[in-house]
Amino acid sequence: MKRKLMALTILSGLALAGPQDNSLIIGAAQEPRVLAGDVVNAISNQSIKFEIENFLFAPIVQTTRDLDVIPVVVTEVPTAQNGRLRFTNVRPGIRRLELDYTIRPDAVWSDGRPISTEDVALYFEMGKTKGVPSTSVDFFDRATLRVRDARNFTVSLEPAYFYDLDINQVYYAPNHIMRAEWDKAKAAAAQATDTARQAEIFRNFFAQFSNPQFLNSGRMVYSGPFTLTRWVPGSTIEMQRNPRFWIKPPGGEDKYVQRVVYRIIQNTNSLLVAILGGGIDAASSVSISFDQGRSKQLTSRAPGRFEIWSVPTPFFEHLEINQFTNVQRVKDLQLDNAKTRQALILAMNREGITKAFFDGLYTVSHTWVAPQNPMFNPNVTKYPYNPERARQLLAELGWRPGPDGILQRTVDGRTVRFEIEWATTAGNQVRERIQQFVAENYRQVGIAVRINNAPSAVLLGAQYRARAQEGTWTGFLHYAFSMGQADDGVRSACRDDEGRLVYVPTRDNGFRGLNFGGWCNEEYDRLRNQAVLEFDVNRRKQLFARMQEIWANEVAMIPLYFQSDARVFRVGLLNYTSSTFANSAYPTIEPWLIGWQSRGAQKVYDQAKYGQPIK
Amino acid sequence: MPVFAYTVRRLLQMIPLLFAASVVIFTLLALQPGDPLDELRQQNPRITAEQLEQLRRAYGLDQPVYVRYFKWLGRALQGDFGQSRTYASPAGQIIFGQRLPRTLVLSGAALTLALLVAIPVGIFSAVRQYSRADYIITFLSFVGFSMPIFFLGILLLFVFAVWLPEQIPWFPKFPVQSISDFQWSQVTSGEISFFQFIGDWAFKLVLPVLALSTIQMASWTRYMRASLLEVLNQDYVRTARAKGLGERIVLYKHALRNALIPIVTLVGLAIPGVFGGAVITETIFSYPGMGRAIFDSLVEKDYNVAMAALAFLALLTALFNLLADLMYAVVDPRIRYS
Repeated sequence: MKRKLMALTILSGLALAGPQDNSLIIGAAQEPRVLAGDVVNAISNQSIKFEIENFLFAPIVQTTRDLDVIPVVVTEVPTAQNGRLRFTNVRPGIRRLELDYTIRPDAVWSDGRPISTEDVALYFEMGKTKGVPSTSVDFFDRATLRVRDARNFTVSLEPAYFYDLDINQVYYAPNHIMRAEWDKAKAAAAQATDTARQAEIFRNFFAQFSNPQFLNSGRMVYSGPFTLTRWVPGSTIEMQRNPRFWIKPPGGEDKYVQRVVYRIIQNTNSLLVAILGGGIDAASSVSISFDQGRSKQLTSRAPGRFEIWSVPTPFFEHLEINQFTNVQRVKDLQLDNAKTRQALILAMNREGITKAFFDGLYTVSHTWVAPQNPMFNPNVTKYPYNPERARQLLAELGWRPGPDGILQRTVDGRTVRFEIEWATTAGNQVRERIQQFVAENYRQVGIAVRINNAPSAVLLGAQYRARAQEGTWTGFLHYAFSMGQADDGVRSACRDDEGRLVYVPTRDNGFRGLNFGGWCNEEYDRLRNQAVLEFDVNRRKQLFARMQEIWANEVAMIPLYFQSDARVFRVGLLNYTSSTFANSAYPTIEPWLIGWQSRGAQKVYDQAKYGQPIK
Repeated sequence: MPVFAYTVRRLLQMIPLLFAASVVIFTLLALQPGDPLDELRQQNPRITAEQLEQLRRAYGLDQPVYVRYFKWLGRALQGDFGQSRTYASPAGQIIFGQRLPRTLVLSGAALTLALLVAIPVGIFSAVRQYSRADYIITFLSFVGFSMPIFFLGILLLFVFAVWLPEQIPWFPKFPVQSISDFQWSQVTSGEISFFQFIGDWAFKLVLPVLALSTIQMASWTRYMRASLLEVLNQDYVRTARAKGLGERIVLYKHALRNALIPIVTLVGLAIPGVFGGAVITETIFSYPGMGRAIFDSLVEKDYNVAMAALAFLALLTALFNLLADLMYAVVDPRIRYS
């Protein structure tokens, strides 16, 4: 009977899905490489992994969709008021931050064992052990742990930065499950002489606790509101409610989703068909594209069936401008001169781009800081489309129309045409369309565009993007990067507090640094070096406000817009809500609240607060 | 024993051939722009150059290509294809344990279906040359092999998973995901029956098999038709008819056997492709087979998986080449090996 019921359930899964059996089927376009056991992200730092692990593991503290920090595994969030947060000035420019935590008495693993400081200690030990290929090395280099007793511990960070208070970087690992094998791996790695072999030993260790075979054996423990029950590689990941999870949603947990299934459908067109067919209740954050989200097939079938939302992301679409004057083309076009850059932005119809390609669902950005970030300054210089003003500025710089209508000027006896190179990721249709659109804008003011696209692996690789000083690209570099809640403005910084040129990739520093265009401003650098050490939000806000003013006045880069994501879920699904930053971009934070209205779940978060509907 | 000696000699010749192929594949993979740490650089701007260097050493990326190649070769010869960076499992297990069997099921079923349809339809079309049925078959064949598979796949999904179930309430809704939720271990543990297992796999494979077999079905129908028509016009067929043999005997005993020879060659050529998988079909129908494993490993720069799969395909190609040469003697007794 049980067998028949199970087969019936799977074969007719579509009919029983959703509110009928209080389950949730999520469609994802990517499969996690590993889950659960890769606690220091030595194997993977994929978004889909973090999204699913939100169901399986409770964080120490959680940054909510409203950017508040709430305690989950611990009793309180450390603050100066409750005496759990302390600063020490170690030396000028270096501060130590100490954070005291107490684990909740009712916080337990899914096997009933209390979560203890032994679990936190194991996490730190793993991250700090030499040879472990953790992707959070910058945190472990600065952090130390002091265990006070089974439930109390202190984390020290030196040097401390402002974002240490905004992002949870402290985790834990099940000591009673992983310790014995960890000690063996550590001993084996100590015998190995080369780093590659050590890393392999550690990767194998993490893999053995995070691959589908191990997780399907039922030997892993979880601390989140769900536990993993089955992972069919390439197909599905199933989770069910963890009755031992200590936070109870309003009205009782039986009114919220009891079973979650991730269906892996890599091709986003197929995923869209699955949504249309009703086989998927909600799209993962790693799923259909924005264009697919607003496609006619979906929007015409949505009324009464799906909610479709446009949610802003921190992905900053922009053009970097080569400002290395040793590059002849840069010198000829005067790209190092703010007036030239102002002319270039004024001649570009950015409002037109957002209207033509995104139905106005994207808004033009004026700084690199996302509008949802508390550090955002809305009062910076804006550059609405003004080709006439652009022409004037260029004329002031000595540019005159040539016989073909393209501006030209004479430099050292040579005639130079205003032809700017524009490099972007080949195959990205939106970017290639923007190039064509702007090329037409520019032609009207007498600027020619030379398109020089390359595959993203080449364009964003170390040999190309970081070598603007060598003229690998000579005009615009068009791409996007994530400007998260904890962004510290480093991508436009030049010098550190000791005046060393460390943030601009040059031959002298081995092409390290992230300020690829090479824009430098002394005042910006001074303010930024203060801001990263400023823990008072209001004072930091003032510093960031001025930094953004300088950045916009000088047109350090050409900001286009912040990308948005499409979020799709069935009508009646509550609290499957996402906002802009970091973990809150996943609709799966605070997953204990996700439920169906018809099953009695209560709405705590409203997607309307964090996005706008797509109709 | 000339065949035995010939086979041994060809097998020995395969060694330098496979060595050269593996060198070329490894070098091409190493020449790909970027490295596995690019993604990390993108996602974590705070990571320092020293920390990146440490990770480069950890992944062995600091070593010259030839050192990496010989390390790989030494281990591969012992059956160890290394660890997959993306799947956190041994590369050999992923390719030979998971992906290859699935691909054999999908591609094998598609090949079989294509043959089962193409041969009788091709015969029918040839026998009824210039009839209305022949024109319809010809038209459908042209549509079949001119339809891009990515379009056909999505079209099939939309029609069978969305449109028809919307129009006809009782119509079975085909799943978008073609991989079954059932695993063989559930049959052995008694959780589900063998028939449930087979039934679920078969139902979910209907659309991808249909999509994958369409092009081959269409082209083999045309080949079968053309080949049979050519044979039917031969003198010996006319002689057979003149002897007063029945049309069925003429067709199936005399004409068809000869007409099938070019089809056997075509099928032989298609077999290595069965092992290589079908990346587009597998992607559209969410079927994790060899094609997707190769494609994903190249995109993700998961060199161990890519090497294991591509080296295996090189070996298969060489083996099937040998097999085809040996088969010529079976088909045509005039061929002698020396």
